[in-house]
Amino acid sequence: MNGQTLLPAKQNPCQFKNEIEEIYRVDSRRIFASLVRLLRDFDAAEEAMQEAFAAAFTQWEQTGIPANPRAWLVSTGRFKAIDSIRRRQRFGNSASEVAKRIDEIATLNAARESEDIEDDRLRLIFTCCHPAIDPKVQLALTLREVCGLTTEEVASAFLLTPSSMAQRLVRGKAKIREAGIPFAIPSASDFQERLDSVLAVVYLIFNEGYSASSGDSLTRAELSFEAIRLGRLLVELLPDPEAIGLLALMLFQESRHKTRANPDGDLVLLEDQDRSQWDAKMIAEGLQLISHALSTRRFGAYGIQAAIAAVHASAKQTETTDWAHIVALYSALFAINPSPVIELNWAVAIAMKDGPAAGIEKIESIFDQGHLEDYHLAHAAKADLLRRLGRNQEAKIAYEKALALVKQEPERRFLQNRLANLPN
Amino acid sequence: MKYMFLMYSPEDAWTPEQWKECVETSMGICQELASKGQLLSAAPLHPVTTGETVRVRQGQRIVTVGPFAETVEQLGGYYIIDVENLDEAIAIACRLPPAQKGTVEIRPIRNIDGLPSEKLELKTANSLEKFMLLCYDDEQAWAEAGPAAHEAAIRDAVSLTHRLDAKGHYLSAAPLYLSSTATSVQVRNGKRIVTDGPFAETREVLGGYYIVLAEDRAAAMAIAAQHSGARLGAVEVRRVFELPS
Repeated sequence: MNGQTLLPAKQNPCQFKNEIEEIYRVDSRRIFASLVRLLRDFDAAEEAMQEAFAAAFTQWEQTGIPANPRAWLVSTGRFKAIDSIRRRQRFGNSASEVAKRIDEIATLNAARESEDIEDDRLRLIFTCCHPAIDPKVQLALTLREVCGLTTEEVASAFLLTPSSMAQRLVRGKAKIREAGIPFAIPSASDFQERLDSVLAVVYLIFNEGYSASSGDSLTRAELSFEAIRLGRLLVELLPDPEAIGLLALMLFQESRHKTRANPDGDLVLLEDQDRSQWDAKMIAEGLQLISHALSTRRFGAYGIQAAIAAVHASAKQTETTDWAHIVALYSALFAINPSPVIELNWAVAIAMKDGPAAGIEKIESIFDQGHLEDYHLAHAAKADLLRRLGRNQEAKIAYEKALALVKQEPERRFLQNRLANLPN
Repeated sequence: MKYMFLMYSPEDAWTPEQWKECVETSMGICQELASKGQLLSAAPLHPVTTGETVRVRQGQRIVTVGPFAETVEQLGGYYIIDVENLDEAIAIACRLPPAQKGTVEIRPIRNIDGLPSEKLELKTANSLEKFMLLCYDDEQAWAEAGPAAHEAAIRDAVSLTHRLDAKGHYLSAAPLYLSSTATSVQVRNGKRIVTDGPFAETREVLGGYYIVLAEDRAAAMAIAAQHSGARLGAVEVRRVFELPS
């Protein structure tokens, strides 16, 4: 398969080097994904890919860059891996197993066309997000193997030392290899469940970055960026309405990123944010995606959350927000996912539509069912509605409850500020 | 790939009728797996209260009555299957009735060279009973002992299987991959719950098994004491419940 016509060798060695580096930057994760499928081993795939690129550097200088460099690199990587398997048999692997693996690699590769490489990335995502892998390890593996972050980068994003992150990754890769987790797109019967698991991982990565609860905020912002990149990849590979909904949701949230905190790092509520600073490009993309997702009529929880975010994004000011629409969307969301936190957001929307008293009533009914008593945002929301009604004594008590429960510093400052500014 | 399923459920969770129904459904699935060449062995085990645990310390055999670990949910049976990958194993595990009351722990089996061929189809001779020996290891201790010690222990175990085979007492044996490769599966309200890790977090974990024939319980325990792992860990001896074929 390498007998394609070759482009003439580049005259300028510097330009030639740049081109290979460009191929590495754009395609290395796809090539890696294909090698993982062929070799069924992350470490062997990583090593084979590095060797293939090293071979490309020396060979292409003479022959020029092949017409399909990706296919060349996958094929070369495969041969390098077979050599390496033959050279040193992994500890504990029986000789018959090694022979079988080499056989499998040869047959698997024979029939493959380069178009399958796109599917390989999807296979890799499903593998890294397999429910038989510890969720924490799923996140780390996805960032390391699908996004191509270094172990050090993943470690710093999760506030771990590189060695403990490396251990976590080793454990995940051993589980995949030894437990026989397949590099496959799941069968139709498991598909939705497995996709949910993938979407949950992507959204968790996004929220790790978005909430910026601790740690270096720059690294955290990169996590949101990687999550959106993964979201785009999923939508490109698999235009499922929920995948589209998730991407739209992340874009809407990210569009407000700059206005969520003031220069002192204090929280700014949605109603007080400078809407002219919202990222119009992300909002436009989000709106386009969400209208597409909703038109399929197969949307789920991510789609509805994105639709709620879209209503906010479409309003020029808080006052002109279509609260009736938001209340209706929350009631639909609660029907799919009857969680108290969603009910709390629903209550806040009701307060905006029908006045604070209606919201307070709903929040109290959540408390009466024994939910959210220890959730600071529930008390904070109630306090805020009481404040709006001028019931300051009750508001004070609710703010104090919230303060006793809050953990993040910017939120604590925000609540203290509100409490201090309550009229007596 | 070969996988071992360990079926955990509270022994009192089953009425006699439910147990009978469970066995019938399970046997149906077994037949289906066997017809596809995916079933190597499966059977319930006799109640755990009839089991014994053997340890060897300073050359002395220490026997305790009952299971290796006191848990509410007990190991009630096992399957050994040969399928393409973990997804296929999970799909089968979810169909088995104990998944609805308890937990199915799925353990990948390590392929090692030099074992005698398996004789799982062998009918038990009149005078012999079938036993399962469950070998529990302290993985941490083995990790500290190093790969050479571990390989030596495996060679010991392989030679034990050949001694058993020479007497016609060997049916099957294999080491399992580390417990961190385990996957636990439950089915609740028709929805499957797949989680990483073994059913119970204990210091000593299942690291391998033998299925043997022995004259009686004492003979089975004597075999257990010969397993080199009994010097560092423990071997639980459980009589296999023989189902009519």
